[in-house]
Amino acid sequence: MDLSFLEVLERETVLEVLRRDKQLRIIEEDRIRRMKYELQELRRKGAKSYARQYGERTCARCQRPLGKFWNSGAVCRGCSHRICSKCRIGAVDWKCTVCHAYRDVKIRSGEWFLEEKAKKFPVTKDKYETVGEKLLKISNVLSHISVVPPTPPPHLDYNFLSRSGDLKNSRPFTKSMENLMVSFTSHIKKISTSQNDVREDLLSVDGGRKPARFKFSTQKSLSDTDINKSSTLFKVPSLPNLFKKSKDSDHEGSSTGAEEETSFSSEQSGGKRGSCSSISTDCSILDGLSVTGELELAVAYNPGSSCLDITVGACRALVCGDGKKKCRPFVKLHVLPDKSCKLKTSVKKNTTDPVFNEVLKFDIERHLLYGKRLQASVWHSGTLKRKVFLGEVLIPLDAWTSNNKDLQGFNWYPLCPKRPENSSGGAAEHDRVKHSSNNLGV
Amino acid sequence: MASANATYGQKESSDQNFDYMFKILIIGNSSVGKTSFLFRYADDSFTPAFVSTVGIDFKVKTIYRNDKRIKLQIWDTAGQERYRTITTAYYRGAMGFILMYDITNEESFNAVQDWSTQIKTYSWDNAQVLLVGNKCDMEDERVVSGDRGRQLSEHLGFEFFEASAKDNINVKQTFERLVDIICEKMSESLDAGDPAVTGAKQGPQLTEQPAPPHQDCAC
Repeated sequence: MDLSFLEVLERETVLEVLRRDKQLRIIEEDRIRRMKYELQELRRKGAKSYARQYGERTCARCQRPLGKFWNSGAVCRGCSHRICSKCRIGAVDWKCTVCHAYRDVKIRSGEWFLEEKAKKFPVTKDKYETVGEKLLKISNVLSHISVVPPTPPPHLDYNFLSRSGDLKNSRPFTKSMENLMVSFTSHIKKISTSQNDVREDLLSVDGGRKPARFKFSTQKSLSDTDINKSSTLFKVPSLPNLFKKSKDSDHEGSSTGAEEETSFSSEQSGGKRGSCSSISTDCSILDGLSVTGELELAVAYNPGSSCLDITVGACRALVCGDGKKKCRPFVKLHVLPDKSCKLKTSVKKNTTDPVFNEVLKFDIERHLLYGKRLQASVWHSGTLKRKVFLGEVLIPLDAWTSNNKDLQGFNWYPLCPKRPENSSGGAAEHDRVKHSSNNLGV
Repeated sequence: MASANATYGQKESSDQNFDYMFKILIIGNSSVGKTSFLFRYADDSFTPAFVSTVGIDFKVKTIYRNDKRIKLQIWDTAGQERYRTITTAYYRGAMGFILMYDITNEESFNAVQDWSTQIKTYSWDNAQVLLVGNKCDMEDERVVSGDRGRQLSEHLGFEFFEASAKDNINVKQTFERLVDIICEKMSESLDAGDPAVTGAKQGPQLTEQPAPPHQDCAC
């Protein structure tokens, strides 16, 4: 499906709606990701985090010994494990803590619906991908090409977006450009191409035809790829997998967390490129501390000064390894994918609920916000310039390309664990997996 | 931090403070009042002027129902045939539907069967549908009787409301009923795959909802 049958303004209207939807989805995916991470944590805290052997006479959740006649535990009807009376939720039809949390996550994440839906529509490559996402991708790619022509068009992406459908009527491109466009659109028409495929197409075109001119657009689309890639990184293994795994390893008697994790990631990495690293992030968090707390931000675009004004309000409930007294938090901002330009707030002393109220400004043209993300990370400024990561928030800036009043004003964002660097190659990822599984073994 | 709660309300769409999210789609012929219905519910506003929806649009509203905060993403679709490829693409992601006709427009009522077929084709098997006869404030121009609407809804297996976006009749009730029946389906779906069949005593069990106060428009 494409939007070519729509008129220029109509297409713009629809794309705007799709962008709003994407914004919503990214936030939702983030919420789900954290939810699943918490579930994973809960499981980890149970049986397998103890070095003790798994035995029939201990509670599968808290590992407390069970008696033969009294406090002998009972079998959970969800997971078939013997559970002590303290690890049960509900009265008559009780479940163990993990089964309960599993059900709860299934409800809250909407996973139940995805499963139901899959009964009728067998899951395609990416169950989260929607039509809107595809359409946006097309329009993105098309709009990025607009930067390429030798004489840059007076207005950037936005106007071009609407024009891209009827190329023939648009301003004269060089012949080769037109060819390029045609080959592009035909590539993209085969829409089910995954993001990686699209990227390969880009690169091959890049190598084949007009390397010099194409450079910019490749860069841009790479950044676009990064975004999409990172959105696949949000995806923690699907619930059934997670749960199945837990059952399996529960039965394996002495299985340690480490074994579980490694086998898990190898199983996943077969499927998707991002998955392996997503698991490794989840593990690597364990190196340090778990990330909690929230960050208050107000993001506004000031058309007068062409600035993105970010007001860092406050943080609350930060977790700092050195204890509350010694936490010296500050906030660092980047507009991704550009890492070179960063802004920092002042460092607040001895608090896990710092109030900053500082306005930081990025000089950036509004239309360039498209496809960019604001990364706001909270750090503890330790002794000897040692910095400890306390969590981050990623906000897609697409929505600020238009003048949207809804988006102004303060908003609390939950802090998330760090995402892996996109630049890290396979080796680095591998390293991290190994590293974290070592940690888990302890 | 007292200010925290105040800021939550400001921006519904980015708010993560909810228990779960439902996606609802409103469908029906052009000009039956889908957009007005949504605006009445989400913004409590009404404009008599007719502006045709381009393709699709949505609004977000968070409601508090049975001790749960439920975020609704309500998709409003264009009724016009030419947008059909876009709108049908969104059927798949919707948990529930509001299928709307205009009680003063016979044609819109006759099309209900077709819309219902569309849902069967493009949506999941347990899609929950409410049939809504809109514009029940215009009693003088009524051409579709309440009984016919009810009969058709029984035939199709949907629940039925007559409503008016203009006079704000049964708008909230429609959405809340739809949310409730989606919740019921959710519990069923979870318990079906659950050997313990425990759902009855815990979790968001919303089946105890009594039947809606007035099935029909009072006027």
